[in-house]
Amino acid sequence: MKLQVSDLTKNYGEKEVLKDINFTFESGKIYGLLGRNGAGKTTFFNSLNEDIEIDSGEFKLDEEVLNTDDIGYATATPIVPEFLTGKEFLQFFLDINEKRIGKRKSIDDYFELVQLTKEDQDVLLKEYSHGMKNKMQILINIVANPKVILLDEPLTALDIVVQEDMKKLLKTLKKDHIIIFSTHILELAMDLCDEIVVLSNKHLELIEKDNLNTKKYKDKIINLLKEEEND
Amino acid sequence: MINYLTKSLEFDLIYSVNSFLYVLKGLPIFKDLLTEDVYKSGLLKRIVSAFMIVFLLARSLFLKFFYFFMILVACYEIFPDTLVQSYFHIYFVLTIIGMFINNKLLNTSKKKYFSIAIFKMNANKYAKSTLIWNQLSNLFLNTICILIFGSLINSPIIYSISLIIFTFFIRFIGEALNIKFYKKYHYVWYSNTRLYVSILTILLIIVCLPFINVYCSLKFINIITVICIVLGTISAKYLFEINDYRLMYQKIFSVVNVMNSKNDKDYLRQAMVEVKDKDKKIDSKKLKGKKGYDLFNTIFFERHREILLRSARKYSFILIGIYILISYLILIDSSFSTSVSKFLHNNLGWFVVIMYFVNRGAIITQAMFFNCDHAMLNYNFYRKPKNLLGLFKKRLLTVSKVNLLPALVIAIGNIVLLILCRNYDLLIIVSTFLFIIFLSIFFSVHYLVIYYLLQPFNKNLEVRKISYSFVTLLTYFVSYTLANVTVNSIVFSILGLLFTIIYIILALMLVYRFAPKTFKLD
Repeated sequence: MKLQVSDLTKNYGEKEVLKDINFTFESGKIYGLLGRNGAGKTTFFNSLNEDIEIDSGEFKLDEEVLNTDDIGYATATPIVPEFLTGKEFLQFFLDINEKRIGKRKSIDDYFELVQLTKEDQDVLLKEYSHGMKNKMQILINIVANPKVILLDEPLTALDIVVQEDMKKLLKTLKKDHIIIFSTHILELAMDLCDEIVVLSNKHLELIEKDNLNTKKYKDKIINLLKEEEND
Repeated sequence: MINYLTKSLEFDLIYSVNSFLYVLKGLPIFKDLLTEDVYKSGLLKRIVSAFMIVFLLARSLFLKFFYFFMILVACYEIFPDTLVQSYFHIYFVLTIIGMFINNKLLNTSKKKYFSIAIFKMNANKYAKSTLIWNQLSNLFLNTICILIFGSLINSPIIYSISLIIFTFFIRFIGEALNIKFYKKYHYVWYSNTRLYVSILTILLIIVCLPFINVYCSLKFINIITVICIVLGTISAKYLFEINDYRLMYQKIFSVVNVMNSKNDKDYLRQAMVEVKDKDKKIDSKKLKGKKGYDLFNTIFFERHREILLRSARKYSFILIGIYILISYLILIDSSFSTSVSKFLHNNLGWFVVIMYFVNRGAIITQAMFFNCDHAMLNYNFYRKPKNLLGLFKKRLLTVSKVNLLPALVIAIGNIVLLILCRNYDLLIIVSTFLFIIFLSIFFSVHYLVIYYLLQPFNKNLEVRKISYSFVTLLTYFVSYTLANVTVNSIVFSILGLLFTIIYIILALMLVYRFAPKTFKLD
C-alpha cells in the first residue's frame, strides 16, 4: 500500500509553509516526521486529513484519491466529547462503525490495549488526564482500522510504561497500515520509526541511514534541522 | 438513516444526563451521596435519563409556548385594537427572520464535530436525518402552539393552518438558500457581518410596521404560503439530493473553528475579554518611567483599552447624546420639562440601574483573570500578600478612574437638566452629584472586591462558585428594585451616599484581611 503526496503547497497568507512537497509513504513502515517548532508538521497532517484547504497538490492511496475515511488522525491536543464516559465513547464509536470494524472484541479487551483500567471506563472523559485522553484517542483510531494513521505528538504525554506498550502496539500495526508519527523528540523517533522524514524549509526529506552509526545519523538529522535556521 | 438518528439522539441524551450528574455531584448536598461510579449505567442513570427525556420535552414545549406567548402579550399591550392582524404580521415576519438565522445544516457545533469527525458517521445520512428530525419536531410543536394561540385570539382556523404550513416549508427554503450561498461563495452568509446586519435591519423594520398601521394582510400571508409550498418542496428535494455534506463539513470543521464554535459558551465568554489587535501595540511614552507592578498594571490596562477605556468613552458619548436630546425636549416642551423634573426629584433609584449597566467592573475582572491572573497566580511571588494587595490598589484606582468618565457625564447631565427645568436648589445638586460619583466608585469596588474575595472562575472562565453567582444576581436584583422606589432624591442620595461609603470601607477592609487567602486558583 502506498500513499503518494504530489505537489502539495500550503500558504498562510503571505507565508509559505509547505511548498511543492512530493513524497511516497509505504505500509510496513513507521515514518517519524521531525521538524522544528512551527515547521509545519501539524499543517501537513491537517492537509492530509482535509482539515484545512490546501493551495495545490493531491493525495493518492494506491492510485485512488485518498478518502478521509481511510485516515485515522490523533491530534496533539486530544479532542474528545468530555461528558461521555470512556466506555460510552468507545461503545458509540463501535456501534456507529459496526460495518467497518467487523468482528468486535469486548470493551474490556479494547481498554486493555491501551492499559486503561476497568474503573477508568466509567469515568467522564472530562475527568481524564491529558495522557488518558490521548490513549482514548489513539484507541479510537486503532479500532476503526483506517489504512493511514497520523499521530501528532501522541506519546509525549504518556507515562513511560504506556509509552513502551504503545510503541509495541504501533509496531504490530505497521504491517497493514501506513503510520506517520510526528515528534520533536529525536530519540523517540529513532527508537520507534523505520524511516525518519524531516520537514525543513517547507520540504519533506527522507534521511537515509547509509550505514551510519547512531551518533552520526543523529548528527546528520540535527545538522539538517539547523540548516533551516541558517537559511 | 433511522439508526443514525437514534444514535445521535442517544448521544444527546447521554451527554445531557452526564452533564446533569456532573453538576449535581458538584453541589455540597450531593457530593457525599453520589459515588465515583455515578456515571456507570445503573438504576440511577436510568431514572435520570427518564427524567431528562421528560424535562427536555417539557423545555422545548415551554420555550415554544413562551415565544408565542411573548408575541401575543406584545401585540395585546401595544396593538390591542388590531390584535389578530398584528399577531399574524409579527409571527409571519419573525418566521422569515428565523429562516435566515436558524440554519441548522451548516452551523458548527461540538456535537456535529464529534458525530462526523470523531465518530465517523456518514455525513450525508447525518445531515439528512437531523434535518428531518428538526423539521418534524418543529412541525409538532408549532402546530400545537399556533392552534392554541390562534384560538385564544379567535382567528379563523384556516389562517392558523396556513401559518403552520408556511413555517414548515420556509425552513427548507432557508436551509437550501444557505447551502446555495455557501457553495457559491465558500463561506456561510452570516459570517458576512454587513450582509447579516443589513438583512436583519430590513426585516426588523418590517416587524415594526404595525406601529404605522401597516400589516401583512392575511390574504397576503396565504399567497406567500402557497409560494412557500412550491419553493419549499423544490428546496427539500435539493437538500436531499446533495451528496457532498462531508466535504462541506470538513471545510467548516477545522478544529479551531469547532472548538471556538460561535455557539459555544466558553468561546463567547472568552471572546468578550479577548485582547484586540489594535491594543497589542502600546505607545512607549505611556510606559516611560514606570517599573514593577506599576508597569505591569499599565500594560494590562493599555492592552484592554477596548474593553475598558474605549467602551467607557462610547458610553459617555451615547449619554451626552441622550442628555442633549432631553435638554432640547425640555426647552421646547414644558410638560416634558415637568416630567423630567419630577423624575429627577423622586426617581434617583433609576440611576442605580443605569450605573449598573454602564460600569465595566464585571467584564474587566473577567479579563483580569483570563488574560493575566489565571497564569500569574501560579507564581509564588505574585501570591505574596504585599504584592497581591499592592496590585489590587493600583487596579482599583485605574478601574475607578475609567468608570468615573460616564459617571461624570451623568452627574453633570443631571445638574444641567435640573437647571433647565428651573426646579433646583443647591442641596439636591450637591447630593445627587456626589451620589452618582460614589455610586460609580461603589460598583468599581464591588466587582473587584468580590473577584478578590471569591475568585470564582476556572480556566475556561466558567463561574464555579455559587456564592459569586448569588452576589451578582443580588446586585442586579437590588439595583432593579431600587429603580422602582419613588422617594425624595435628597433623602435617597444622602442615604445612598452613606451606604456606599460604608460599603466601600468595609469591602476594602475585608479584601486587605482575606484576599491573600481567598485570591487563588481553584
